[in-house]
Amino acid sequence: MSSIAEVLAQAQELLYLEAHHLDQKQWTEWVEMYTQDAIFWMPSWINETETTSHPETELNLLYLNGRSHLEDRVYRLQTEDSFASVPSARTVHLVSNIRLIEAHDEHTVLKATWMVHSYGLHGPLTRAGFYDYTLKRVDGALKIAYKKVTLIDDKLIGAVDIFHV
Amino acid sequence: MMNSSTDFKHWIVDEPHQFKVNRAIYTDEAVFNLEMEHIFEKSWTYVAHESQIKSHGDYVSTRIGRQPVFVIRLGDGSIAAHLNSCSHRGATLMPHESGNAKAIRCRFHGWTFSPNGQCLVVKNEDSGAYPDESFKKHQALTSVARLETYRGFVFASLSGNVPPLKDWLKGSKDWIDCLVDQSPEGLEIVKGASTYTLYGNWKLQAENGVDGYHVSTVHRVFATTIANREGKNPLKDLKQTEAGRITGQVPSGSYDFGNGHMGIWTERSKPQVHPLWIQKERLEKEFSAEKVEWMLYRTRNLFLFPNAFLMDNPSTQIRTMQPISANVCEVTVRCIAPVGESLQARAARLRKFEDFYLTTGMATSDDLAALEAVHEGSRAANSPWNTFARGVKAIQHSGEGELNMSQEPPEVSTANWDHEVIYHGFYRAWKALIQKGQAA
Repeated sequence: MSSIAEVLAQAQELLYLEAHHLDQKQWTEWVEMYTQDAIFWMPSWINETETTSHPETELNLLYLNGRSHLEDRVYRLQTEDSFASVPSARTVHLVSNIRLIEAHDEHTVLKATWMVHSYGLHGPLTRAGFYDYTLKRVDGALKIAYKKVTLIDDKLIGAVDIFHV
Repeated sequence: MMNSSTDFKHWIVDEPHQFKVNRAIYTDEAVFNLEMEHIFEKSWTYVAHESQIKSHGDYVSTRIGRQPVFVIRLGDGSIAAHLNSCSHRGATLMPHESGNAKAIRCRFHGWTFSPNGQCLVVKNEDSGAYPDESFKKHQALTSVARLETYRGFVFASLSGNVPPLKDWLKGSKDWIDCLVDQSPEGLEIVKGASTYTLYGNWKLQAENGVDGYHVSTVHRVFATTIANREGKNPLKDLKQTEAGRITGQVPSGSYDFGNGHMGIWTERSKPQVHPLWIQKERLEKEFSAEKVEWMLYRTRNLFLFPNAFLMDNPSTQIRTMQPISANVCEVTVRCIAPVGESLQARAARLRKFEDFYLTTGMATSDDLAALEAVHEGSRAANSPWNTFARGVKAIQHSGEGELNMSQEPPEVSTANWDHEVIYHGFYRAWKALIQKGQAA
């Protein structure tokens, strides 16, 4: 069993690596960080204080249930046939306030905050929010099994893809 | 500056074999002000769905044209809408997008109003030394001039000089019915929404929602993405996504319903993947074969002039527009769904919605970028004309040759959803309302 400090250090490195892949547009490397049954969820806002909380019955900004749906997004970006994605925005992810919520042998639950500065068709834009992660060990490698993105911005400017958050 | 009706020739050319609009109508703030004054603030606009305001005091905040408004359910079950502006000093009364208020207390000086708009409390009225004792009686909120609902959809007008809502909607009512009748209990807005800012003119959004012609280019990537998804991992039943309309393999058509309302339809290439499919037997028992054909086997995008869309395509959507200026429009998308449908159907409806209809999704995002490109290109004033020529030789004046439920035939229809002649009707209604307003 690793120490709490080791678990946190590994998790932190994984979050930073994900941010790196997204900012460098290394889509294939990015999607490979996820488990086959991974969930990538970005709820929508119901009002000023509440987001949707039941993805099966409420509207989400993104609810990608299974890595194949993340692969759809990668496929679309790689076609270079998406009006919204050509030219693509440059992004920088800042991931911070990483907190270990649960540490088990097989999985780790984390919270973090993020800010993404992008520069593209709409000029400079900054979006921010919270991350909730569950990481799992698959054949010895740490993978992302669950990522919930709470985007605090409500009225959205421009297309918001998986790499803008 | 467009200040008299004769100036319209600079903005619209409407001749038997030529119809074009000057792209300056997308970017000119003077045109925008005329639109707000004479169209949005003088005719029916969609303001809310009844499912958003079920109980006494439930309200939603919105705008009619430039004017903040809230729509509220009264104690007797009826619905009212008032300007969201205190009669005293004008502060907005409702700080939230939606909520419940059985007494509406202004947060500025504490005046309080009932949901029907009557002024109940003038703070410190006794020491107010008002000029007359009946002062409070005359401090009611300003209500909209007209409010009517059609099958759960609430419309309001700031002018009383409008036809009854049913007359205004014309044959578009059939298409509204095709959505509402999907459940015996009607429709509901699903929890959650997304608002995006279009850095472009509201009319570009109005055109886009009933533009079949862009689909096979802008949304080709959606179709190839879906083909890739389903090719490597075959999905079952409602989890499949229909993309036949995008590749142009199905019959289709377009309708100019009159009064600026427009519609486009296609046959569904795979109707069995639509969430409504599991209600097929019930629909066949309850409705005519023709109506079932429209409900179950056809996609329909309906534009309700001037500010709302009802779409029943991969999923079901109500999309509303709040123009902010000539160059900015806020658009809100909501999923509207049959009350009481199965969890399986609801989940499928939501997943299809999220795939396509959001700026975080894989189609509306591309529409938004395309519209912003059109808006930017419209600044090329030395090349000013948008010509709407597709379909000019295919115009039908009664919807003949097509399924037609309506007692009220469309002004114009064509048997191809990528025809552009429905925009002629849109811009004629646009021009007629501005001219009517200017003449008044």
